[in-house]
Amino acid sequence: MASISIPIPLRERAKSGVLGWLATVDHKKIGIMYMAMSFSFFIAAGLMALLIRLQLAAPNLQVVDPNTYNQLFTMHGSAMIFLFTIPMLVGGFGNYFVPLMIGARDVAFPRLNAFSFWITLGAGLVMLIGFVFGARSDAAWTAYVPYSTKAFSPTIGMDIWLIGIILLGIGSTLGAVNFLVTVYSMRAPGMTAWRIPMFVWAMATTAGMVLLATPVLTAALIMLVADRNFNTQFFTANRVQLWQHMFWFYSHPAVYIMILPAMGIISEIIPVFSRKPLFGLRAVVISTVIIGLLGFTTWVHHMFVSGVDPAIERFFMFTTMVIAVPTGVKMFNWLATLWGGSLNFKTPLLMCIGFLATFVIGGISGVMQGAIPIDQYVHNSYFVVAHFHYVLFGGSVFGIFAALYYWGPKITGRMFDEKLGKLHFWLMMIGFNITFFPMHFLGLQGMPRRIATYDPGRGWELGNLIATIGAFILAFSVLIFIINAIKLRHGEPAGDDPWEGNTLEWSTTSPPPEYNFLEIPTVESDRPLFDARMRTPQI
Amino acid sequence: MARATLRDRSMERARRSGDIAPARQKNIGLLGVGFFIVSESMFFLGLFLAWFFMRNTSDAWPPAGVAPPPVVPAVLNTVIALLSTIAVFFADRATARDDRNGLIKGIAVAGALGVIFMAVQAVEFTDLAILAQGSAYGSTFTFLLLFHVLRVFVGVILMGVVLVRTLLGHFSSKRRLLVQATAMYWYFITGVWLVVFAVLYLIG
Repeated sequence: MASISIPIPLRERAKSGVLGWLATVDHKKIGIMYMAMSFSFFIAAGLMALLIRLQLAAPNLQVVDPNTYNQLFTMHGSAMIFLFTIPMLVGGFGNYFVPLMIGARDVAFPRLNAFSFWITLGAGLVMLIGFVFGARSDAAWTAYVPYSTKAFSPTIGMDIWLIGIILLGIGSTLGAVNFLVTVYSMRAPGMTAWRIPMFVWAMATTAGMVLLATPVLTAALIMLVADRNFNTQFFTANRVQLWQHMFWFYSHPAVYIMILPAMGIISEIIPVFSRKPLFGLRAVVISTVIIGLLGFTTWVHHMFVSGVDPAIERFFMFTTMVIAVPTGVKMFNWLATLWGGSLNFKTPLLMCIGFLATFVIGGISGVMQGAIPIDQYVHNSYFVVAHFHYVLFGGSVFGIFAALYYWGPKITGRMFDEKLGKLHFWLMMIGFNITFFPMHFLGLQGMPRRIATYDPGRGWELGNLIATIGAFILAFSVLIFIINAIKLRHGEPAGDDPWEGNTLEWSTTSPPPEYNFLEIPTVESDRPLFDARMRTPQI
Repeated sequence: MARATLRDRSMERARRSGDIAPARQKNIGLLGVGFFIVSESMFFLGLFLAWFFMRNTSDAWPPAGVAPPPVVPAVLNTVIALLSTIAVFFADRATARDDRNGLIKGIAVAGALGVIFMAVQAVEFTDLAILAQGSAYGSTFTFLLLFHVLRVFVGVILMGVVLVRTLLGHFSSKRRLLVQATAMYWYFITGVWLVVFAVLYLIG
């Protein structure tokens, strides 16, 4: 009966080596596996994008045949959305940092968390193996009927794609249950609602959206599988709208599922690198939740040329425009945080500024297309392609890289090379805009999306050539990131808190021990580490 | 062991500081089941929306030449579902009082009623299999019944696990999460059945 209690008992069950990863229920290891998986799919889907751009570089090129082209853009979109952006943000950063930021030792249900990961990986492998062995879907990531019905997609590739997405839905729904319970129940003492970090607020809102939206898509996918294989009669020729409704009921919220965590990330990074508190924290929290709620009321704006009742269309035009208001609130809050701050122009902040600059263009072109007359003009044109790459790449992917540079030192214990990081940022910023800005003009000039090639003389040659050049600059910038990540092995040691952060993850070691914290911290404001620094006498 | 120590310590601190209601950490499991049920509800909401969308875009519902399935087995099943829910309710209450016999009786009766429910549905499905392939009406009708009865199946399995673990002496008034979770899920399944019954058979 020793009277001295050892503060950190070593975890006997913690295993190392391969088994330690396969059998882990630790949220940090699961998070790292999500990140590794997602980044691999990012590379794969990025290479597909390069093939797509090569094909379109000049008129009447035949780099790949039209069928392969259809399969390529289908898998590019599906993988980027379902296998990269969502699992990276929610599964990767969400898993790794939500428990750390709320001062918990793990998520609420660690085993369920591991299950979510393995089913997600399984789904990804199902889709990837199908793709590699030629069982490929070619009905685009939207899988609109009738393209996706047995008559138009007779091969098993479509079924494999559907099964993959169903499995992914199960994984992310269970993950959402886990996040919601974790954020509700596992917060450190003192962490009242207004002291929850912005990233955690964003993740909780995202989890709520996943929970409500995904099951509807799952229902639609199962119905389509049954239509294709068991002769049911759901999506017959006169009911193509039903698929569109059920698909966009999930997939429009999915847009916010992909952007809200990225917004949460930059809401964490900008205050740290401006040496100021986040301007209007409560306004940012409230607008996050409002975006989450309004996200469920806008899906018909994808269907303005589908023959929906005009009165209903006008309602959805209104809600689509309204959702720009909370988004604008956040935009101004970020700018006001930067305003007058002593800015520390490290790579994470550059990535955030990249986010602000590009996302606002995507946001504005989104409001433009929310107007029914404009949408009817640019629908299914390259203008749409430009728009959603500005929000999903310019928003989510810049957010993801911001997070990798910001939190990478916490995950690995090593600092990234700043010079390579800055080179990566500038090449990515330039390459991104060269790739996607010309697509606005291509769309307005009438170039439809998803075409495998085009005839000369329509005025599309120059824009496409520029876009292709930009795509390779973009790819090169990602290569620089990979080199930087490999060099991380020899990077400077990061220490616990290299950025003088505000949130609890910086109070523990880098990388954090399996139990996260020596002692569960007590929180007294929305910037617990700032408080701690102020208390410590400076020498 | 190590982990329990760490968790106990953090719980203790949480309680002392008073900022976190201890109740919030006590019901983590049930909260998870609750959120899961929300997602399950959305799945059925999707199917119901499909039903109403098709109903509103069809000239006749059910379409000409398609006979709606007989209502008698569905009425029978409604009674069975309600009775089993009462049995589950008493089983849950019995655990709270440490009444092991009450739990065994309640869960056995509810499970048996669940099996009867599935048997009645199985007879129905011999007709529905044909109906499903003929029309959108039949497809949606069959899907709603099929995915509901799948949940009944899961519920009956859960009751079987509860029964076995009760016989092994696993539950008490302090340790009854699985009993509560099973009860919650069964209430949800019954609730879905009532909506299915009302929409498919009464509104039509």
